[in-house]
Amino acid sequence: MEFPIFQVPYLGNAMTIALDAVLHVIIGHGLAIGALTMVVISEYFGFKKSSRDWEIFAKEYLKFLIIIITGVGAVTGVGIWFITSALAPRGIGSLLRVFFWPWFIEWIVFTSEVVVILIYYFTWDKWTGERKKKHIYIGLSYIFFALTSAFLITGILGFMLTPDGWPWDESFWSAFFNPSFLPQLLLRISGSFALGAIFSVGFLFATSREAVFRKEALRFFGKVALFSFSAAVIFAWWYFSVIPSTFKTFAIFAVLRRFSQQPEIFYIITAISVFIFVLFVLSALRGSTFLSRVLIIPVLLISIGYVAEYEGVREFIRGPYIMPGYMYANQVLLKESPFLDQAGTLENSYWYGITTNSPNYINQGAYLFAQDCSMCHTIGGINDIKKRIKGRTEDGILVILNHTHEMVPFMPPFSGTDQERKIMAHFLYQLSNENIKLGEPSRFAPIKGGKDE
Amino acid sequence: MSSLFDILLEKPLSDEWLKGLLFASFTLHMIFVLLTIGTAILSIYYFIHTWWGGKLGELRWDKEILRTFMAHKSLAVVLGVAALLLIQLGSSVPFFTGVNLLAPFWMLIIVFLVIAFLSFDALGHKIDVHHYLHLVFGIIALIFLLAVPAIFVAVLVTAENSDKWLTIIANGYQLGGPLAIHWLFRYLHVLGAAIVFGAAFHYFFSTREEIEKKKSILKWIVAGLLLQFILGIMLYSSLPEKPDYIINISLFVGVTAAAVLLWVIFTINKDSALNIKKVLPIVMLILVSMLLARQFIQDTTFVPIEKQLQVNAKAYQKELQPYHQEALNKYQSDINIVYDSGGTIYLKSCTFCHGENADGNGSEAKNLAIPPEDISAIRTTRPYLHKILVEGIPGSAMPYFTFFDRYKIEALINYLDSKYYVLSLPEPVPVKIPEAALQQAQKIFNETCFKCHGMDGRGSALSKGFQPPPPDFTLFSLSPERTFDVITKGYPGTVMPPFSNLPEDVRWGLVKIVNEKRKP
Repeated sequence: MEFPIFQVPYLGNAMTIALDAVLHVIIGHGLAIGALTMVVISEYFGFKKSSRDWEIFAKEYLKFLIIIITGVGAVTGVGIWFITSALAPRGIGSLLRVFFWPWFIEWIVFTSEVVVILIYYFTWDKWTGERKKKHIYIGLSYIFFALTSAFLITGILGFMLTPDGWPWDESFWSAFFNPSFLPQLLLRISGSFALGAIFSVGFLFATSREAVFRKEALRFFGKVALFSFSAAVIFAWWYFSVIPSTFKTFAIFAVLRRFSQQPEIFYIITAISVFIFVLFVLSALRGSTFLSRVLIIPVLLISIGYVAEYEGVREFIRGPYIMPGYMYANQVLLKESPFLDQAGTLENSYWYGITTNSPNYINQGAYLFAQDCSMCHTIGGINDIKKRIKGRTEDGILVILNHTHEMVPFMPPFSGTDQERKIMAHFLYQLSNENIKLGEPSRFAPIKGGKDE
Repeated sequence: MSSLFDILLEKPLSDEWLKGLLFASFTLHMIFVLLTIGTAILSIYYFIHTWWGGKLGELRWDKEILRTFMAHKSLAVVLGVAALLLIQLGSSVPFFTGVNLLAPFWMLIIVFLVIAFLSFDALGHKIDVHHYLHLVFGIIALIFLLAVPAIFVAVLVTAENSDKWLTIIANGYQLGGPLAIHWLFRYLHVLGAAIVFGAAFHYFFSTREEIEKKKSILKWIVAGLLLQFILGIMLYSSLPEKPDYIINISLFVGVTAAAVLLWVIFTINKDSALNIKKVLPIVMLILVSMLLARQFIQDTTFVPIEKQLQVNAKAYQKELQPYHQEALNKYQSDINIVYDSGGTIYLKSCTFCHGENADGNGSEAKNLAIPPEDISAIRTTRPYLHKILVEGIPGSAMPYFTFFDRYKIEALINYLDSKYYVLSLPEPVPVKIPEAALQQAQKIFNETCFKCHGMDGRGSALSKGFQPPPPDFTLFSLSPERTFDVITKGYPGTVMPPFSNLPEDVRWGLVKIVNEKRKP
């Protein structure tokens, strides 16, 4: 490959991206779209009902939100890109070339979003009285930009799952308006409003408010949560119905992982969480501040859990591809894999070539692992390759290497010559028996300082 | 360098457009970066200044300065997106390599920014915290914020010096020697610019026309400019390549503009203020010409490399072309297979070892020292088979299949049972065994077999650590023919030896003994 490789120790590359991405989605959806919409609605209520309570609530809420959105939300959003730039340069670099225009337009929208929210925030105290209406329009235009931003990103995310005709015709439009585009967009928007309503209740309880106002606001956010959560369930069903079954069939494993043999857990936890959620919504609709206050923390955690679960499943059921029909998850191209099987992975790796003087099975194996496996596996951390192959014989490992993609359909094939497969099997076998100690796990270890030591 | 090539997909815009847009968006980005950093430095300074009895009174001017931080930093972040997009498109390999070689620092930018932004926003909004706390908070935020341009500059220095990549790796993935010196001056030059721009901004927008404040902050502008002259000379002399004339012209324009700005400052009257209409064009001229010089310097190394990388990419694309259609066909067939029935799971995940007819003769069987089991001969219980499937057999090639959830594993077991009766009891021994042979077989079991298999057939203390371990005969058996086969030939690759020297009757006797241990 044309890029050097970095492996995040312990956490692993995939998990590093996932942690940042989930944090971003919670803020991006829950706060930047959902909660901010609640702010604009609250401001409108304040204006229409001439209610100081709604007005003050909206203003204070905005102050809190803008710090989190601009300080954490925007940074972690760019962060997904930063992390993938370091860990999957070929993947992100190729996606950028296909989706340059949505990305570029997204930049303009994103910039407008920030400019508008800053105007909205800084003019709150200045645009009062007659100009209040105008101020509310500014809030509405922010929501418009935020939704446009979701629209653009969803096209790219949907493509990674349902590329439609792209692998064959490489046409941008079939890539962008792919089959899962619309249901995913609607799911994200309704999910955002549900999250936003729940966060708003959280803020309502975390700050001191008039009892009467609190009840009124609670009822309103309860309605929003109920309506948007129900919509999200319907859109989620629609969304999953358009995803091809090839990898969707692994959704339960994607959620349960080590508990894959107790699938009841999935249903029990889902049932309990929906029950708590419904209980919370009912108590909010009835204006019961006591029960709502008790349930808000569990409901917040459940919502975060749902987001993590959805994103986790979505990423997982992409199968072994970063770009379906074009690039595997380990950044090897589909058409490149058979080429490397004949021509050799090490032979065609610039970085292995220039950093290794005396090839041996350890540095060769370590490099092959880094290139072919390290996007998902670590050595000694999460999804530890040593645990995965523990107990296998060397010939067994070799056979598995030859059939990764067949045996485990969401794993890419191993790319390399027969000789390289043997080296890899030997390396992994020695590794699983703790006969190799690695110097620097983040690089194609054990190479340290560029030359063998 | 032939195995180093550009990303294979076409660029969406020509290189000229990409460079032009990059310059424009980077300039916009840098304006707000400089304002963000300048604002942070000045607000901390004026906090200390006020606190230690400075003349600016009780106004807490630092708060006024810090109030603008929110806008500066937000715009710096969003405007940076376009610059990042364009440099990644236009100079994919050098830029991503720079990022990758310094990956841990690069990814830490996110953490640093979150800490710095939240802290400064907290200071700006949560108006009054205790002085010491405010100071500590502010300084920590400032340190994290100032680390960010240090990393960005280091990544760009790395990206621009492809001839030094090996040296950087040899140096433990850090810049060293002349490159480190160049990095340091370049970084300090950014900070110097931040002071000038930040001070200029607050001179006009945060002083509320109070002349004392203006005078105070003017000192920062002058000091910043003078510092930039010194740092600029050092940076210029540390450039890895000798700059060509176009770079020198840009720099000359920038330096002249800076000198003009100093002249304007020194010629204003004592009690009058600078005029924004005069200052703004000069300041922008400095920024644009300096950033132009920066871009030209970058291009002198990027452009020739990119040309070569694109040629290499074309060549590599050509080499891959013969595999293109084959790969698409494979993709098409792969996405049509759903691993949701026992039959499919068996076909895809088991056949290559156990064979299409489940007789252990898969295409890979010949490559395994311990041959794959003849599944059609297995007679076991559901839990035992489930255990093998989710735990694998240690010391053999048989892996575990927990990536199939229980429903799938059950489907696979049902499939195997419907086709090969694997959940049945073993069939009766097909031959008649004379009593004497049976007795001899029992004797042999009691004297020899029990050592590993245990008297009850569930394994012995001795065989506990064996890899693979002997099966539990009370739960797992094979068809009589297959059991006979194993006793006769042994189990290759395991401790189980062949007993072909025993008379055939006795071996059948052993089959009977072993299979009768099986419980329903």
